[in-house]
Amino acid sequence: MLEYALIAGLLFGLYFSLIGLGLNLVFGVMRVVNLAHGDFLMLGGFAAYWLFTLRGVNPIFSIPIVFSAFTLIGWPLYYLLVPRLQASKDPEMLSLILFFGLSQVIEACATIGFGTSEYSIPGDVLGSEPWHILNQTFPASWMVSGIASAVCIALVYLYLYRTRIGYATRAVMSQRDEALSTGINVHAVSALAFGISLALAAVAGVLAPFMFGSILPAMGVAVTITSFAVIVMGSLGQPLGTVLGGMVYGVALMLMQTYASSWANLLPYLVLILILLVRPTGLLGKRVRHA
Amino acid sequence: MRNGLRHLIFVLVPVVAAFAVLPWVYSNHLLLFNFVVFLVLAQGINVIYGFTGYLPFGYVGFFGAGAYGFSLLVLRMHAPPLLALVAGALAALILGIILTPLLRLEGAYFAIASLAASEVVAQIISNPNLTNVTQGPYGIRLSGVYAPRFAYSVAVVILALTLLIVVYLRNSRFGLALQAIRENPVSASMAGVDVVRGRTIAWLLSALIAGLIGAVYAWYISVFYAETVFDLGMSIFAIVFALFGGTATIVGPISGVAILYGIYNGIGIATPQYFQLIYGILIMALVSFLPNGVLPLLKRWGINVP
Amino acid sequence: MKSRRLLPLPLVCLLASILTPADAAETPKEIKIGTLYASSGPFASISMPVYYGLRLWVEQKNAEGGALVKPFNKKIPIKLIAYDDQSSTATATTLYNQLITQDKVDILVSDSGSVLTSVGVPIARDHKMLLIDQTGTGATFFTKDNPYIVLISDPISSIWPKYVGDFLNTEGYQLGIRRVAILYATNDYTSTQANAVRKFLKDAGKLEIVYDNGVATNTSNYVVLLQNIRASNPDAVVHLGYPGNDIAFFRNVQESGIKFKWLFGIYAGLETELVERAVGPKALQYVYTYVTSSAISYKPNFGMTLAEFKAAWDKKYQGGHVEFGFNSVAGYTTGLVLDRALATTDSLDQLALRRAIFAQSGKLKTLDGDFEVDETGAQTGEIQPLGQLVPDSKGGLKLNIVYPRDLADSKPAYPAP
Repeated sequence: MLEYALIAGLLFGLYFSLIGLGLNLVFGVMRVVNLAHGDFLMLGGFAAYWLFTLRGVNPIFSIPIVFSAFTLIGWPLYYLLVPRLQASKDPEMLSLILFFGLSQVIEACATIGFGTSEYSIPGDVLGSEPWHILNQTFPASWMVSGIASAVCIALVYLYLYRTRIGYATRAVMSQRDEALSTGINVHAVSALAFGISLALAAVAGVLAPFMFGSILPAMGVAVTITSFAVIVMGSLGQPLGTVLGGMVYGVALMLMQTYASSWANLLPYLVLILILLVRPTGLLGKRVRHA
Repeated sequence: MRNGLRHLIFVLVPVVAAFAVLPWVYSNHLLLFNFVVFLVLAQGINVIYGFTGYLPFGYVGFFGAGAYGFSLLVLRMHAPPLLALVAGALAALILGIILTPLLRLEGAYFAIASLAASEVVAQIISNPNLTNVTQGPYGIRLSGVYAPRFAYSVAVVILALTLLIVVYLRNSRFGLALQAIRENPVSASMAGVDVVRGRTIAWLLSALIAGLIGAVYAWYISVFYAETVFDLGMSIFAIVFALFGGTATIVGPISGVAILYGIYNGIGIATPQYFQLIYGILIMALVSFLPNGVLPLLKRWGINVP
Repeated sequence: MKSRRLLPLPLVCLLASILTPADAAETPKEIKIGTLYASSGPFASISMPVYYGLRLWVEQKNAEGGALVKPFNKKIPIKLIAYDDQSSTATATTLYNQLITQDKVDILVSDSGSVLTSVGVPIARDHKMLLIDQTGTGATFFTKDNPYIVLISDPISSIWPKYVGDFLNTEGYQLGIRRVAILYATNDYTSTQANAVRKFLKDAGKLEIVYDNGVATNTSNYVVLLQNIRASNPDAVVHLGYPGNDIAFFRNVQESGIKFKWLFGIYAGLETELVERAVGPKALQYVYTYVTSSAISYKPNFGMTLAEFKAAWDKKYQGGHVEFGFNSVAGYTTGLVLDRALATTDSLDQLALRRAIFAQSGKLKTLDGDFEVDETGAQTGEIQPLGQLVPDSKGGLKLNIVYPRDLADSKPAYPAP
């Protein structure tokens, strides 16, 4: 039972790393708290559902479709919302409210459009036989999800560390004003990062029917909260710290489900608090000086 | 303190008097009560965020602690309501003391950690293994203390107390010290402000405020589940109301609640189906066009805001 | 002479006004029924169908000219005043109060589910209004000291799983079931049912509970939990959760390749359309569940039959996003009970309405089953039989009723092939 919980935890954690990755990217690049992140995930899920139901598109192929679509949506959305925010006294905290409003708008539109019930995609489109690893069986969809998450994380790594624009993005993440003064088009870089962040959320959404069992318009808020816990554990502004945070979350959750199930949802938050008390900027964060 | 006296007379007294008198005029008392609750919560946020710069996403944790503190004393020990109120406030205060180390965190880390703390408390309370203590997931049902009119009056008293605290902060050196901490803790400490003591006091004050009104809330509604009093939406509403009106002032949160919560209820009663949509768009428009709240607008027009 | 003729005239008028029923001058022009619904948030999926069911009844009645109200001896149109509480209990409290104090409704009907009903209980009591509790089955609402509540369309949670427990203890035992695993979500509704199942099993003492755990209601993955359940080697598995839990649970069972001999889930029956669409028919084959009023055709002595109701529903709400199922029947049943109450009550006074409703207990049978309330207002009738979903010839599923014997139409297929 222990090994099963560990492996399942790693898989599930990898999925949550995917969810958190976009959120962390946005925070790191523009210090914006995207409370609508879970709702974009939900939209991605519904996109996959409709692509599957209306056109028979296998969710695996929905992934690149959804990725491109949401990157394109993110770009103008950035210009619409963020620059104005940055002009205010406390953009970090105000972004909270702005994106909370956005989250409500998205949820409302989704409810009007899709109703309030749960939707799902049958698991056998990703493989009808469970996979066997180390003598344990895991649902095929979990394995595919894990692989897809790993691929996306790898792609983000490549983007950040191997492309010019990724280099510029990292510059903006560490010192926004200085990046501006070296001639980097901060807005363009940020807009791209924003688009990618939404796209990552949407890709996670495509996998959501398999990992969460179902999708429904009201699911966004809970997902956002959990993903915040994950990225803060890993460290805000450090996208690859999210991977670590996700793993910690996943394994902790699965272990608790095995040994003390009714407390399972408690542990990740507890772990988060403990981590923050020991390392206030998360597992991989840099020490910040304050009084 | 002359300013303080003016604030007292022109802000605190009218507001408290209004809410004391309104029940005679408007019969949906529960709505009035909810207004008082949000007024108090928004001022509580004002104390810890407006003055001190820490934004607690999990502010509702203190509210819930107060509610459960009250309820458990009534349920298990059959205490009289006023004594149980003190217990509720104490419960929130103790929670605040336990969570004081979180103040070492900054900005968004603090926000998320406080949210996590609130969730932890909510989960512990609603765990079925603790049913004998907290009623677990089955919710609280108080009988024998149902007294909505008296509870409302107590709520108005708490509102008065809260406003007093904010008036004090607005007009005292301590309040100024807190604002200094908010702007730059390092410089503040170099200027002689005891940063740790200052923010701890602000934190505990805000916890106390939420705990008190949480206890009264439990008294008023007397039947609730854990999700009701640990609802994240309440934190968010209180924060949005405080921010909209303008922080570090007395009138700011009041106007924020009056306007935004008023609109919320107005929409809810008038056009329910597009409720969430309209409210979301409204919030987005407000933050986009009035990012610092309504008050800087007023300041630009030369009105000095209390 | 003139004066003698004039004198009797006022006397006649006076006599006429005394002898005419006093209410004739005060016949209300409409009966106001106030209710809440949640159009968004976690409770929307159980709330909207109930609301639509009630609305269907209101509109049907109004098409006939209104509901017959006995004290005025005529049909009076019904006005349904409904607000959206967005699944928020704080909003629901102010809206219940709004209905009572501002709209001054004659009849107060709760929103669906225990959470949104709970906040209405003290408000109704304070204002001395009878709370028509549609589907809020929380056991703590019903006490001897509060007459202002009555549960209409669902049995109280502590009795709901009666036939599950009975089956396991009797026929299940005969089939060879000895070890039972219980997994439940830790909220009032499913925890109370879990307690009931546990009690039914422990009281009979024949079966051993080998796994008994609660998980948070927002649990959405059961992969690890299922392995743990399997490790305890149960003969029967009882899963008690909300629709999201059931969907995730059944998917994970299928995808993990696990086969249980006897598996029960609440919403496979309560929202069959929804769950089947989400997990696919294969995942639900041989699953046991409740046979709800939308899956069994009781012979009502009042109101439409199930078939008639479904036809009316499809006609009115076709193409809509609101699921037809047990909750829609629940809303309509509320209407039917109110129908009988208004037709038999002595007055519109709240306690008179209560007496009229209680008088229906044991006499009224609707498409929802036998209406029976105990002295505290809790519904003790309408208990749902146990059924099993089996594959039909078209690749879909058919619900067989397997227990109790007098309602059953098939034998259970055990162990699941």
